[in-house]
Parts: sequence; C-alpha cells; structure tokens
Amino acid sequence: MQAVLLVFVGGAVGAVAREFLMLLVPTLSRGFPLDILVANVAASLLIGLSAGRYSRKVIADRWHLMVTTGTMGGLSTFSSFAYASSVLIEASMTGALVAAAYILISLVMGYVAVIVGLKLGGRPQMQESPA
Amino acid sequence: MKPVDVIWVGLGGGLGSVLRWWVGRLVGERYKGHFPWGTFLINISGSLVIGYLSVLFQVDWHNRHGHGMVLNAFVLTGVLGGYTTFSSMQLDAAGLAAKQHARLAASYLFLSVAAGLLAALAGAALARVQG
Repeated sequence: MQAVLLVFVGGAVGAVAREFLMLLVPTLSRGFPLDILVANVAASLLIGLSAGRYSRKVIADRWHLMVTTGTMGGLSTFSSFAYASSVLIEASMTGALVAAAYILISLVMGYVAVIVGLKLGGRPQMQESPA
Repeated sequence: MKPVDVIWVGLGGGLGSVLRWWVGRLVGERYKGHFPWGTFLINISGSLVIGYLSVLFQVDWHNRHGHGMVLNAFVLTGVLGGYTTFSSMQLDAAGLAAKQHARLAASYLFLSVAAGLLAALAGAALARVQG
C-alpha cells in the first residue's frame, strides 16, 4: 500500500512537471512537436541519472520507486509521442516527413540522454566493464 | 491552463503511473526473458487509447490547452501521459545494450515506435467508424 502511494505521488509530480515544461516550449512550424520532444529527452536524462544513482546504492528502494518509477516515468510520455506522429502522418506528405524526423530525433536524443544520465549517475557496469 | 487543470493532471498522472507500475509488475512476474514486454505493452495500449479518445472527443492537438476540458487534462495528459513512458523505454534499451544485447535493444525501440504508431492510427480509425 505504501508503494502504491509512493508511485502515485511521484507520478503526479512528474505529470504536472511535464505539463508546465510543455507549456514553456513552443510548437514549431509545420507542427513539429518540440514540446513533447523536450519533455521526453529531459525525462530520459533524469531517469538515467536516478537509475545510475540507484544501482550505486546511493538512493534507497522507496526513493527509487517514487522518483525513478513515478516521477521520471510520469514526466515522459509515449502516447502523446505516438499520437502526434500519427496525426502528422495522416495530414500530408510534408507532415509524414516531419513525423519521420521527429521520431528519429526523439529516439537518438532520448537514447543519448539516458546514457549520459547513467554515466553521470555512475552506473557501475558502465565504468567497470572490461576493456 | 486553469489552476484546477493542474490538479486534474496531477491526479491523472498519479493514477496512470500506478497503473503502469502494476502492469509492469504483472508482466515481469510472468515473463522472465530479455524483451521488455511490460513497457512495450503499456506503451502500445496507451497509444491505442489516446488515438481513440482524441478522435472520439475531437481534441484539437494544436489547441489542446485552449478548452480547459477535464477529459483533456485528466485523461489524455494525466492518466495516459503517466501510464505510458518514453524514458523507461530508453532506459530498457540502454540496459539491454549494456548486457551485450545491442541488436535486441534496437529492435525493441523500432518495434515500439512502429506498433505505437499503428495503435494510435487504429484507435483513431476505430473512433471514426463509430462516430
């Protein structure tokens, strides 16, 4: 029961932070969803950071559940990412190209952000892997 | 965005995150392989629902803050945004790559995007057929 509460509170904070972050970022011309991109890349960096800290046993299980699973999971969104892309694809040929660029940029930047976050957080296997 | 919308986004984000955690645990208890089925199923089901509801309620994607609708703040931004996760998907992929499963990580990202797009399109098509 306590775990449910921790995930709930963490997720609520993440979702509200995402909404404010997205309101700050303008949507670019041709409908490129820059706001969703910024939220997802920021969340990827932060989830890497907190997962790295957790694997180093710097943070406790309860904190991990609230921050990593709740807040950093709730800060990002896959449904808006997929839906915004599908709307662009259905709209026009130009829209489909914008969607393709958006998806590629999101995947590459999100992946790089997680790796950077994990390194900053100090995940052991990233540092001690044999040469 | 009205202040009351922040509360709806927070409540929805908390609920969605708890649902994500619960589904992830259910899947994790039953499936012990490498492929991150939990996050995958969460993201695809969330994409289907967002496509369906957006068309059913005719949410204008570029003006989604204009209406101040409870449905928009609570269900789409809150519940579905908190339920689905882009950051955990990237963390899963980085974890696979660190365990020498780079090809599986790339396939996982590609399949998530392809299935998520198809699910969003299918959800929207279903709502149009109904409406």
